[in-house]
Amino acid sequence: MTMFHFFNCAILTFGPHAVYYSATPLSEYDTLGTSIKAALVYLGTALVKLVCLATFLKVSDNEAFDPYQELLKALIGFIDVAGLYFALTQLTHRNISQNHKFQAVGLGWAFADSVLHRLAPLWVGARGLEFTWDYILQGLEANANLVLSISLAALGSLMWLRKNKPKTLIPIIYLCAGIVATMPSITSYLRRGLGWHFPKVVGFELLSSLILAFISWQLFSACQRPSS
Amino acid sequence: MAASKKSGGHREMLESMYSVIALVFILVACVELCDAAAVVDVYRLIQYDMSGSPFGSRLASLNHHGASLHFPPGADLSRTVLIIPLRELNITFVREYIDQKKPLGGLLFLLPQVFKSENGGNKQIHEIEKLKSMLAELEKLLIHSNIPYPVYFAFENDDIDTVLADIKKNDAIGQPATATTGGYKLVIPTPEPNKVASPTITNIQGWLSGLKADGEANQLPTIAIVASYDTFGAAPALSVGSDSNGSGIVALLEIARLFSLLYSNPKTRGRYNLLFGLTSGGPYNYNGTQKWLRSFDHRLRESIDYAICLNSIGSWDSELWIHVSKPPENAYIKQIFEGFSNVADELDVKVGLKHKKINISNPRVAWEHEQFSRLRVTAATLSELSVAPEMLEGTGGLSDSRQFVNETAIIRGVKLVAESLARHIYGHQGKNVEIFADGSSLAVSPAYVRSWLDLLSRTPRVAPFLSKNDPFIMALKKELADHTDEVNVQNEVLEGLFTFYDSTSARLEIYQVASVTFDLLLLLVLGSYLIVLFSLLVITTRGLDDLISLFRRPPSRKVKTA
Repeated sequence: MTMFHFFNCAILTFGPHAVYYSATPLSEYDTLGTSIKAALVYLGTALVKLVCLATFLKVSDNEAFDPYQELLKALIGFIDVAGLYFALTQLTHRNISQNHKFQAVGLGWAFADSVLHRLAPLWVGARGLEFTWDYILQGLEANANLVLSISLAALGSLMWLRKNKPKTLIPIIYLCAGIVATMPSITSYLRRGLGWHFPKVVGFELLSSLILAFISWQLFSACQRPSS
Repeated sequence: MAASKKSGGHREMLESMYSVIALVFILVACVELCDAAAVVDVYRLIQYDMSGSPFGSRLASLNHHGASLHFPPGADLSRTVLIIPLRELNITFVREYIDQKKPLGGLLFLLPQVFKSENGGNKQIHEIEKLKSMLAELEKLLIHSNIPYPVYFAFENDDIDTVLADIKKNDAIGQPATATTGGYKLVIPTPEPNKVASPTITNIQGWLSGLKADGEANQLPTIAIVASYDTFGAAPALSVGSDSNGSGIVALLEIARLFSLLYSNPKTRGRYNLLFGLTSGGPYNYNGTQKWLRSFDHRLRESIDYAICLNSIGSWDSELWIHVSKPPENAYIKQIFEGFSNVADELDVKVGLKHKKINISNPRVAWEHEQFSRLRVTAATLSELSVAPEMLEGTGGLSDSRQFVNETAIIRGVKLVAESLARHIYGHQGKNVEIFADGSSLAVSPAYVRSWLDLLSRTPRVAPFLSKNDPFIMALKKELADHTDEVNVQNEVLEGLFTFYDSTSARLEIYQVASVTFDLLLLLVLGSYLIVLFSLLVITTRGLDDLISLFRRPPSRKVKTA
């Protein structure tokens, strides 16, 4: 019964990534290599982030929200953006269209994030006899994270790869990318600064990720139009 | 071509990854984590065989759903643990279940915190007395029945109270907890209980020799003071027996301390030897006392003037009883009784004499002095109990905890015994001389009594579970050695009818579990979510026709797109 629950949670956590890969044209163009490379870049970024966190952050015993520390954490969080930049611009895989490249990178990024942050707790926790909603919520969070990663990759590819984009949209693109990149800090603030419970935070994440994805999609298609 | 080569390389890489992943998984699978909603210390009902027939709880491991007393009528409880708080206990219900051998997954009794040994609660005395008598009745029922499922005791705390409240709420809506409806699962991972191999009983004796005049050839007479120290109760890990016979041990140690003060000075050293005996095996017809007496050489046995056995003297108000086996007209008995009643009059308490003949053919030994009497040694038992307890009763079970014992009662008891002994030893019979007067250096020390009583009330002392070198036995030995000239420890095997089984205490893990139906439903929801997601993505990125063709002719798809 508990193995069953683990299986369910794993489907929820990792299923959407596989579905995304197989349902979209990504599978047809064999972009798996790009995704794996993006995942490896994520691993490297995570390592750098860990080193930075360990170097600059004080360890606080209490779960209180310290604005200065959180600011530092948010700044360190921007290393993610640097990693994504590297993955998008420096990785030269077989020439796949920009359209597919950012999706492949975002997918690899999100999958690596899920594996790194959620697989171990899931394996250890969801197999236990004790039932909690946590692992289902965590799976939903992984879904939101997938949407956010792909949005960020889309905005990144707009910023760094596309040369001829409408001038008026540039500040909006940067603003959106900034918001998406600071999402982890925002949720951390909600959880610890305002003391929101996990279900509420996950609900917020899902909602905001959908809104941001919609905006990014609109921006992307707006940029697509003049070029095509 | 290049693509196929590349994917071939990927496959190799993935295959080598799989072995690494598998290794990691195996490592992680070995990690056992406990993340239960609540973890509670539980104490198992004793399991023993008496002359071959089984008694007590015959199982130890537990893995069932919990239910409260409000379970729907007619529910199948064979895979359910009933959680019964003592406050709500209906003894006839439990008796019915046990007598009719109805199937149950297990029983868990919740005891109020007042019965916890560390707790000095002073709630409504009336209510506690009611609970105490109920607990005693329950204990008697459980000890003497053969129960084919695990029975545990636990103390109420916040965790288990919330769990119980939740279970009650579920039961109230008529939704019994089974594998398909979720609820709470109670797990005690314990191996099968094993027989305790050759349980030992340990007797401790202290010898305080009297002053022998020069050139006197005869041996000095001896007075023995004896108390049995082990207990027997429904839960061996909770049988601390503060009154039976913790109070007797405390009194014996205090008397030993007082007389060691007197005997340390040659001027006040009496012309009697004092023999202090802490005996084991009390609940089993004073088996240890019997072995101890048999080990005496007959000169010593004949030199014993009389023996005073102390038994349950911790919760009396105004009357103590002296139980004897010889008729009251016997000169020695008369002497002992008069000695006690004289002192009792001065202390403003009453002492009664009870005579109970020994039936040699009956194996039951109700009082410790009867073992002495069987060997023709004059002996008496001082106790607050007016009638002899039945076998395995009044031996320090669950309900016999610290707050039902009165220190001042013990102190008065000590004074009564010590004073009458001293008058006998120094020949002050009938005189109004107070040797152990309050305030003097020979006064009974309340602090000493209290500290030993507290220690005893924390220490379960069921003989088969006390090893030879148990810290408690070592402590008793050391204490007696401090007050006497010579201490001997005698180890014997508890013989006779009894076989005991171990695993007396365990940890109960309570998990909140989801039902299989819930998991199935979740799988269904997730499956449809993924299918909808897939269809949506295919439609938005490739168009509806692609989705339809995907289902129509899946194998030809690749050829077409290529």
